[in-house]
Amino acid sequence: MSAGACFHCALPVDPRDQYYVDIDGEQQPVCCPGCKAVAELIRDTGMSNYYAMREAPEPGTGRPADDAAEWQIYDRDDMLAAFAESSDGTAEATIYVGGMYCAACSWLIETTMARVPGMLSADINPVTHRLRVSWHTAKLGLGGILAALANLGYDPQPLAPESAARPELLEQRAALKRLLVASLGMMQVMMFAVGLYAGDYQGMDPDMQYFLRWVSLAVTTPVVFYSARPFFRSAWRGVIARAPGMDLPVSIAITAAYVGSIYATLTNAPAVWFDSVVMFVFFLTLGRFLEMRARHRSIDRSTALSNVLPNTVTRCDEDGQTTIPGSQLVAGDVVLVRPGESIAADGILVDGDTAVDEALLTGEATPKPKSIGDPLLAGSINLDSIVQFRVETTGSDTTLGTISRMSERARYARPTYVQIADRIASTIVVAILIIAAAVGTFWYITAPDRAFVVTLSVLVVTCPCALALATPAAFAAAGTRLAQLRLLVTNGNAIEALSRSTRILFDKTGTVTRGAPVIEEIEVLDDKFDEEQCLRIAAALETVSTHPIANAFRATENDVAISDQSVAVGNGVTGVIDNQVWRLGRASFVGAASVGAALAATDVCLGVEGRLVARFKISDELREDATDTISQLTELGLKAGLISGDSEAVVQRTAGKLGIADYHANCSPEDKLEIIRTAQQNGETVIMVGDGINDAPVLAGADASIAPVHGAMLAQTSADIILVGHHLSPVATAVEVSRQTLKIVRQNLAWAIVYNATALPLAALGYVPPWAAAIGMSASSLIVVLNALRINRFGAP
Amino acid sequence: MNVLYFLIPLALLLLAGAVWAFFWAVGSGQFDDLETPAMRIVMDDDTKPPESPDT
Repeated sequence: MSAGACFHCALPVDPRDQYYVDIDGEQQPVCCPGCKAVAELIRDTGMSNYYAMREAPEPGTGRPADDAAEWQIYDRDDMLAAFAESSDGTAEATIYVGGMYCAACSWLIETTMARVPGMLSADINPVTHRLRVSWHTAKLGLGGILAALANLGYDPQPLAPESAARPELLEQRAALKRLLVASLGMMQVMMFAVGLYAGDYQGMDPDMQYFLRWVSLAVTTPVVFYSARPFFRSAWRGVIARAPGMDLPVSIAITAAYVGSIYATLTNAPAVWFDSVVMFVFFLTLGRFLEMRARHRSIDRSTALSNVLPNTVTRCDEDGQTTIPGSQLVAGDVVLVRPGESIAADGILVDGDTAVDEALLTGEATPKPKSIGDPLLAGSINLDSIVQFRVETTGSDTTLGTISRMSERARYARPTYVQIADRIASTIVVAILIIAAAVGTFWYITAPDRAFVVTLSVLVVTCPCALALATPAAFAAAGTRLAQLRLLVTNGNAIEALSRSTRILFDKTGTVTRGAPVIEEIEVLDDKFDEEQCLRIAAALETVSTHPIANAFRATENDVAISDQSVAVGNGVTGVIDNQVWRLGRASFVGAASVGAALAATDVCLGVEGRLVARFKISDELREDATDTISQLTELGLKAGLISGDSEAVVQRTAGKLGIADYHANCSPEDKLEIIRTAQQNGETVIMVGDGINDAPVLAGADASIAPVHGAMLAQTSADIILVGHHLSPVATAVEVSRQTLKIVRQNLAWAIVYNATALPLAALGYVPPWAAAIGMSASSLIVVLNALRINRFGAP
Repeated sequence: MNVLYFLIPLALLLLAGAVWAFFWAVGSGQFDDLETPAMRIVMDDDTKPPESPDT
C-alpha cells in the first residue's frame, strides 16, 4: 500500500498524496508539500548532488516543520542585540543547526547560505553543528537567515553570544601555533646540528662553529619560551599543589639543557644541546596536541537544555498577544501554546484541556491528559488543543533544568583512572629527580667535567615521554577509529571502562526499538468486516489525531468518506461513516468494557455504535540489527540486559525477541540507577545504552554510557559515547575496539618501561651522549605513536 | 663557505616570514575546522546554479 519512502526525508509516502519532484530527469516520490518544496529548492539551486553524497537519512530528518516558526520576529532590533554582534552595517551571529546528520548537510548549508543575498560569510562546524554567519544588516535580517535554514528542512536556533564563545577554539589556535613554532624550529636546529656534528669529525672553522651555535640559540629561544611555556606553567602548578606531574622533569631537562647550552656557547665549551632541546619540545607538543584534539571532540553541553525548548513563545498580555523569545519569559507570564508546540517553562494550565507528551522527561510514551489547574513541565509537547498556562519557573529552575543538573553532578562524582595515573606519575617523577640528583652527585665527585652532560642525558633519557604518550596516543587513535564507525567519544575514560565491561544494559524505547509505533497485529472481532476495511476506517479516523500512535496508521490508504471528526483528549478519536458513529482508542472509550475482552494497555480498539469491531496491537519496531548486536555482545562475553519504564508485558515481549533473559520492567530512573549500582557493587563494569532525558542520571551512573544521537539532546551530553545513525551494531564493534586499545596501551607501557629500564643505567654510566638520549627518547615515543595508530586499521576490511 | 654567513640569516628571515604567515592564517580562523576540508574535496559540485536575478 505504501509507495515507498520519501526521497527527501525517508518517511513512508502516503500513496494518495501524489507529490513528486523531478530530480535529474527522474520522478521521485516525496511525502508532503514541505519535502517537495525543500527538494525543489535543493534542485533549483543546482545542488541535487546532495542526494547522491549524503548518507542514508534517519526517517523524518530534514522534513520541514509543519507550522513554520515566526522567523520575522528575529528581524527586530532587540533580537539583533540579543543574538548578534553588529558593527558598521554588518552583524555576526552563531546559529545552532538542528537536524544535520552528515557531511553532505554541512556542504548544502554552507553553499546555500553563501548564495543568500547580503550574506558575507557562512562557516559551519559539522562536529558542533554551529553555523557562524556574518551579513549586511541593510540587505538581510537574522530572521531571513533562519528562514533560509528552515526552508532547507533544518531546525535553526540562534545562540546568545555568551553561549557561542568557544574557549576550545582559542585553545586549539594557540596549540597549533606552538606546534608550528616547535616543528619549524626543530627542522632548522637539526640542520645546524648536522653541520656541527660533521664539523666535530671532519674539523671545522672555529668561527663557523661559533656562528652555527649562535644561530641555533636564536632559533631555540622562541621554541623554549613560546612552544614550551605550557610545560613550565603546568610544572609550576604541580609544585605549588605539591603534586609534581610529568611536566616537572620535562621543564627541568629543558631549562638545564637550554641554560647549559647558552653557557657552553658563551664559554666555547666542547658541546651544545640545542638539538636535544627542540626535539624534546616538539615531540612533547605534538603529543599534547593529539591529546587536545581528542578532548575537544566532546559536544558542548550549553545548548542541550535550550534545544528542547521553543525559541519563541506567544505571551498573552492584557492588550493581546506578543511573540517574545523563550529566554525572556518570567514567572507569572501567561503563555499560549498551540498543538505540536513544546512548553517553554514549568507552569500551571489556566485555560483549555489537552494531552501532553512528556516522553522527554519521564520516558512515558503515552500522552498525559491535562486540564485546568494541572502542572505542565518544560520540554513536554502539547498535542491536542490550544491552551494557556501561567509560568511558574523558568530556565535552570525547571524540572528539565534540575534533571540536567543531576546528571552533571553524577558526572563529576565519578572517580577516574586519570587521577590514579596522575598519582603514579607523581611518584615516577619524584623517582626520576632523585635518580638524576644521585647520578649528578656521583659524577660530580668522580669526574666533575662530565657531571652536567651525564645528568642531562639521564633526565632526557628517562623522560616519561613514551610513558606519557602511551595512553593518550592510543586513546586518540581509538577515538578516531570509533568516529569512523559513527561513535563519537566525549569522554576518554569510557574506552577503558568499555574494554573491561561485563554487563551491558539497554533502554527499550528508541534504543533497541526505533521509537516509532507500528501495527503488529490486527484482530477482527466482527464477522462483517475484514482486516483491510478495519485498517482503512481506523486510518480515516486517525487523520485528525496528533497522538504518536496515529503515526502507525499513516501508512495506510484512507479513502473512506468520513465526517464530524473529533478528538477526545486522552481517549481516542470519533468520526461518522455511513451515518454510524465510529470510535477508535481506549477500550473503555470505544465501549469494549461491555464485551469484557482481555486487552493490553497498548492496544487500540475500533468500535461502531458502542460495539467492538477490531483491535490493533501496536508495538514499537525493533531496530533491524538489534538482535544481531545482542548476540555479538554475548559472544564477546557480555551479559546483556533490558531495562525500561514500560509495562512488564511489553518489555518481556521485546526481551524475548532479542534473546535477552535479564529484563526489568516498570523502572523509574531511580530504579534503573539502583540496578546499575547493585551490579557495580558485585564487581561488574556496566555499560548503559539509552536515550531520553530521564536516563541522564542513569547514563552518568554507569561506568560507560552510549546514547543514540536522535535521542533527547541532554542524554547525548551526559553520555560518554554518542551513537550516530540508526544502527546499533557499532556498539559491539566499540567493545572490540576498546579491548584492542587497552591491549595496545599495555604493549606501549611495557615498551616504554623496558626502554627506560635499559636506557637509564647506560645513561647513568655515561655511555649515552645527550643527542643520542634525545634520539632514543624520540624513537621510543615514535614507536609508541605508530603502535597506537594500528588501532585506526582495526576492523577495517 | 663564507656564503653561509649570508644564507643562514636569509633562511632565518624566510622562516620568520613563514611563521608570521601561519600565525595570521590561524588567527583568521583558517585552521579552526580540521575535519570538514578533508571531506570537502569530494563534495565540489559540477552543476552550476541558475543565474539568480539579483546578482
